[in-house]
Amino acid sequence: MGDLFAEPKGPQSERQLIRLAADGDARAIRALYDRYAPRVYAVVRRIAADDDLAQDYAQEAWIRAIRALPTFRGDARFSTWLHRIAVNAALQSLRKADARAKREGPAPDDVPVAPGHADSLLQKRLENALDQLPEGMREVLILHDVEGYTHEEIGDVLGVTSGTSKSQLFKARAKMRALLAGLSGEAQEPHERGAEAWSI
Amino acid sequence: MEHLTIEALARLVDEPANPEEATHLASCEACSSELASLMAQTESLGALPDILPPRGDWEVLAARLRSDGLVQDPGLFRKLGLARTPGWMPAAAAVVLFLGGTAFGAGLTRSGEAAVSDADPIAAVATVEDAASAVRAAEEQYVSAVSRYREIMEQQGGSVSGVDPVSRYAALEHLVSVSQAAVRQAPGDPYLNGFLTSALAERDAAARLVSVSRDNWF
Repeated sequence: MGDLFAEPKGPQSERQLIRLAADGDARAIRALYDRYAPRVYAVVRRIAADDDLAQDYAQEAWIRAIRALPTFRGDARFSTWLHRIAVNAALQSLRKADARAKREGPAPDDVPVAPGHADSLLQKRLENALDQLPEGMREVLILHDVEGYTHEEIGDVLGVTSGTSKSQLFKARAKMRALLAGLSGEAQEPHERGAEAWSI
Repeated sequence: MEHLTIEALARLVDEPANPEEATHLASCEACSSELASLMAQTESLGALPDILPPRGDWEVLAARLRSDGLVQDPGLFRKLGLARTPGWMPAAAAVVLFLGGTAFGAGLTRSGEAAVSDADPIAAVATVEDAASAVRAAEEQYVSAVSRYREIMEQQGGSVSGVDPVSRYAALEHLVSVSQAAVRQAPGDPYLNGFLTSALAERDAAARLVSVSRDNWF
């Protein structure tokens, strides 16, 4: 059956794939999915802090993106455009009441880890700590420290001021530090600065 | 000066310290150590890798894309990676129809197994071994036909459409899912099982190619 398919001519350009996908070409859509699914899934998984919700959010992001493909003009990189859609889809989904209810459950104790990562143990600790952050802190921390958004961009996405974004970020980093210290079994020194320094 | 609060230290990860904070950090090992930990934490967060979606994610999405009318199901020849319907296909179809019609007509004039055997030799196969041989022969005939098509296209100066490894894998994945559905409908059918097995093997080979090239995407 090996002769059924012609030899590959080389990777199709992203522009070609996007054009074909915008026309509803299933193979082009699949190719885009294969390229960007891990990126999309990573950001929505971290925002959702839940595997089931993450899959729903990722699906929603892809549906929105494919639907909006004819409007993609190439002013920004496709990856940036898609990433923003994924973030918005995840945030909006998370704010739905049913999603909030589902979040009440216990945080998952295992996060799928991409194979081959140099320090998967550290990654797992970080992911688990992220899952335990309060929603508002988690969103800002993910967007700023993981995804590299500026406070102005975070303000646009979350509908808050950049000052609020900064304030949330500093609280989130502190909370994260405490969570990681607890997760790693590090004894939290009865630090000379006093308990108030660790009470987030 | 009292120790810096943890939130103040979190701010100093990416903002400059004021003179008072800088003086304290220079003399306080605990605070400077805590700041170093926060910096390391921030750096680690920025280096978090992507996460693979769960198995079956594409299948769920593909079903939704189809139900939402966002994909156009490619025709048979596009699924097979061919540019368009081969030029000889209408003629071949006419021949098949003619022969089929002739055989059908002949079958009507005869009776019993002889007529069935003449009209459709495969229908006369009675053992598993013979059926398997018929499947292999049919596959070989099919592959030969496609190969011949490619030869003719190349002789005529045309080219056979190629696909990149990812698209090819996607096409094979689709072929596998269609074949699986067919096998579910007719689980005992040797031809369908043989086709599915071949498609699975081809898809797995394509997946290995894709996994090699995927490392360069991110």
